[in-house]
Amino acid sequence: MSSWYTKESSIAVSTRVRLARNLSGIPFPSRMSNEQFEELKQRAKSAICDSNTPFAKNLNFIDMASVPENEINAMVERHIISPEFAKRGGRSAIILSKDESISIMIGEEDHIRIQVILDGLKLEEAYDIAEQIDSLLDSRLHFAFDENLGFLTECPTNLGTGLRASLMLHLPACESSGEIASLSDTVNKIGFTVRGMYGEGSKAGASLYQISNQITLGLSEKNALDNLKSITARIIEKEENLRSSLNKLKVEDMAYRALGVLKNCRIITSNEMMNLLSRIKLGIDMGIIEEKINPIELLISNQRFMLMKKFGEMQPEERDIQRASNLREILQQEV
Amino acid sequence: MLCEKCKKNMATTHIRSVVNGIVSEKNLCAACATEEGYNDIGHNSLASMLASMFHEAPSRSLASQTRCSVCNSTFDDIASTGKVGCANCYKTFYTELLPYLKRVHGSTKHAGKVPCRAPLMVKPEKETIEDLRLELNRLVSEEKYEEAAVLRDKIRGMEANNNE
Repeated sequence: MSSWYTKESSIAVSTRVRLARNLSGIPFPSRMSNEQFEELKQRAKSAICDSNTPFAKNLNFIDMASVPENEINAMVERHIISPEFAKRGGRSAIILSKDESISIMIGEEDHIRIQVILDGLKLEEAYDIAEQIDSLLDSRLHFAFDENLGFLTECPTNLGTGLRASLMLHLPACESSGEIASLSDTVNKIGFTVRGMYGEGSKAGASLYQISNQITLGLSEKNALDNLKSITARIIEKEENLRSSLNKLKVEDMAYRALGVLKNCRIITSNEMMNLLSRIKLGIDMGIIEEKINPIELLISNQRFMLMKKFGEMQPEERDIQRASNLREILQQEV
Repeated sequence: MLCEKCKKNMATTHIRSVVNGIVSEKNLCAACATEEGYNDIGHNSLASMLASMFHEAPSRSLASQTRCSVCNSTFDDIASTGKVGCANCYKTFYTELLPYLKRVHGSTKHAGKVPCRAPLMVKPEKETIEDLRLELNRLVSEEKYEEAAVLRDKIRGMEANNNE
């Protein structure tokens, strides 16, 4: 089993579903004492790891205090944990599946955040997995719940289902035709949001955008997922239409130029790499160029902390050299 | 019109800002507008948006007298951070929170999954007559005769049931 980013994708790159849950009787994380965090950690750990379920065999408990800083940030780059969770330091723990598709964050903004991330467009599948883990935890822990307000969360924006579902889409044609702003406006009006690749406040690199639901109260999980699915279908349709009107020769030219740079560069920043890989991905996905490379995998595995996790601490310039050398090595092999 | 910043793409975002009475206008393309943070208005930081919404609360001074009995938060604490202290805060400040929840979600009634907490639901252990007698003795010794009388009747009722 391998991680989401190592698999082939098209416009829909990945699907992420998360459920926010809190234990009743313990204040929410920002008002929780260290003793209460320990209690939360132990209870969550034993609820999963001591259960005789098929899940438990595949899940490992990791105290985040024992994880090196570079690896924590590299986990953010692989979308396994949230940037918010990475800042929590010693007061956090995670239960992670071997393929990293399931991550149960303990001590995020809520006591427990169940996250499932899969490649491509797999909303139901991802939710089903998250839901099963939720039911398992629910049978062993006592979640804070209110008949009217649903699952109680630290931030009222997550009340109700506590469900945030998001899809990462590759939208180079929408982006180059200046459609993202109007798209963002439209989806905002109907309770969805479009953000950059690394979530709240982040910029979009490589034309990768995340679209997710905002409303969690008053809508069932199924309705929220169905709405997201239908709005995503329309965005994908729009991207496909815009792609079909692109000049194929120009797309081919851009993709091969990008490939040429990546195969020959000696120093390359993460931003430049992302933009070039995005062009190659567009060329491959449109069937214009044939390359047996996975641009998303290259993009993720050559991020700043992913490099430092593998090659040790480096200055920005050293990283750019290392990145160029990695890319050259992999891309030369493909010829 | 071309974007004023990159001077490459078409300007699709018009930004008009008024700072201390001085009006300035910008025409940017989508990418530059995003880069300058304009597209993120409203969803960049939900917590801060929420906090700013709370600050419009007219009843804040009244509500701020009350403290949550579990985590000691006041409504002001919640309003200033956009974060609720604990599950009990939702009970304590239910009325104050309701209008904001309505504005954020458009609804105040949960429609999703309900936890099946039956296996771990904190059901009080079945009280035994022996427990109640001990409690009765304690009440009598503390001269709480009214409460003791209620308990005495309860014990009599249970004894009657057992004999049936």
